[in-house]
Amino acid sequence: MDLKVPKLPKIAIGWRKALIAAGVAAAALLLVFVGWTLFIDYTEERQVAVFGSHVAASEADLFLVSGKVSSHMRSRPEYPSVAESDAVMREFAAIAEYGRGVAAYHRQIVGADEVPEAYVEAQSAYIRALDHLNRAFSLWSSAAGAYDAKAYAAAGDHLAGADRAWKDYTAAIDEYDRELRIAEEGGEIPPA
Amino acid sequence: MEWKDIVPVIAGGLVILVVALVVKPALLGEPIASPGPAPATYLPPAPLPAATPFPEDGEAYTRTFRWTAIDGGVQTTTVQIPEALFLEHRETLRFADPLAWGRYALAEEDRPVLEALARRIAPAVGNPEEEYLRMMNVVFFVQQIPYEPDNSTGSYVEGALPRYARPVKDGIEYPRYPAETLVDGKGDCEDSAILLSGLLDALGYDTALLRYSDHMALGIRMEGFNPYYVKYTPKYFDYRGKHYYYVEGTNFYGGKVSADSPVIRGKPFPIGDTEDGALQSVRSETPKIIPLRSIPAPLEYRIRPARLPAGGA
Repeated sequence: MDLKVPKLPKIAIGWRKALIAAGVAAAALLLVFVGWTLFIDYTEERQVAVFGSHVAASEADLFLVSGKVSSHMRSRPEYPSVAESDAVMREFAAIAEYGRGVAAYHRQIVGADEVPEAYVEAQSAYIRALDHLNRAFSLWSSAAGAYDAKAYAAAGDHLAGADRAWKDYTAAIDEYDRELRIAEEGGEIPPA
Repeated sequence: MEWKDIVPVIAGGLVILVVALVVKPALLGEPIASPGPAPATYLPPAPLPAATPFPEDGEAYTRTFRWTAIDGGVQTTTVQIPEALFLEHRETLRFADPLAWGRYALAEEDRPVLEALARRIAPAVGNPEEEYLRMMNVVFFVQQIPYEPDNSTGSYVEGALPRYARPVKDGIEYPRYPAETLVDGKGDCEDSAILLSGLLDALGYDTALLRYSDHMALGIRMEGFNPYYVKYTPKYFDYRGKHYYYVEGTNFYGGKVSADSPVIRGKPFPIGDTEDGALQSVRSETPKIIPLRSIPAPLEYRIRPARLPAGGA
């Protein structure tokens, strides 16, 4: 069998051209590396900024809730009539619904954020805090419902549960603050 | 290799940089779509319509009470209760939870009747030293309303158990509005405690219901009540720093009115005396204190500001 193997053209390249080609390839790789690194850095910064803006929005809304709660608690009369007591509890129920709605909304927003690995624990703690707050407000709502049904003992039980949920909320905020410091400063920070 | 070979490589690198530094930030910089409806807003509760007052010229029950006042004199007074008010109470479901029974004492529909009656029983006094006598006249008035248990049909003006009398483990429970006790002219321990607290509240005294395992009495708030003439240590119970002294609303071991009557009359019972009664629970238990004017409130309600991540808004 007579096979004809075509002749490959002879590559004639000098050392100089080979070095230039290698240099260009290296430069291209360097550019890709630098670009990728910048891209990743920027993405992480951006993720933290978005997370931060969502926490800020949540805190701004919670500040409004806090104002409403504080004003309500301050204005409770010491010796109310039955009608005044009922009006106070209706307002309490409305504030509970407001707080529950705010906590649930921001929990959904912050929970959907993608954050760099270093911030995962802080994000998780903040979400837990909002969950506990949501639960506390839900129990306020249940307490107001029980009061409306004249089941005062049940109302007291719901409020005791709400107090426990509230303590869990403040503990989660403490943990969030700690995790945030760890993420921003790096390394371990002893618990406060 | 010439420049024409290098230019595409540099251009490719620039494209990567532009994508990384311009296109991607521009995309991420756009507002993030919200996951659902807008954040919750505060919706204040709708005001309730005002209650329709009972007509003053309608049918009314007239009841005359006769009792011995603290000075030993026999007093008489007449009370008129609108029939519509009484019937409305009779057709109102009773609260199973005793913690809510303060609402009966403070019922606003009964308030005009109680205020007028309290002023007649215990007219305003000129000096503070007589305040005690004034208060005791109200206490004596209620203590002398005949005691009759809830499960006795004779305890009710209709001669039958009311529709919302509740069967409980030990019989029947039917806490009465003050106006009902006045119309029926009888009642058991919680009815007397409710009527007494309603009358004293109408005069501006701070009272609470004291609930024992088998009894209900009244607590009246006083500071340092310890008169020289009593031969016992007046008993009080502390509730959030306030001292509520024990007051008995009934005195049901004084003896039956007649041999065939379940109605029992008793003698006046002094404030703070828990040792002289027939009930072991009163002598030994610490009662559950039920303030009339308590609004359930959480202890924890302060929202903690959280630190914002660096770079956040």
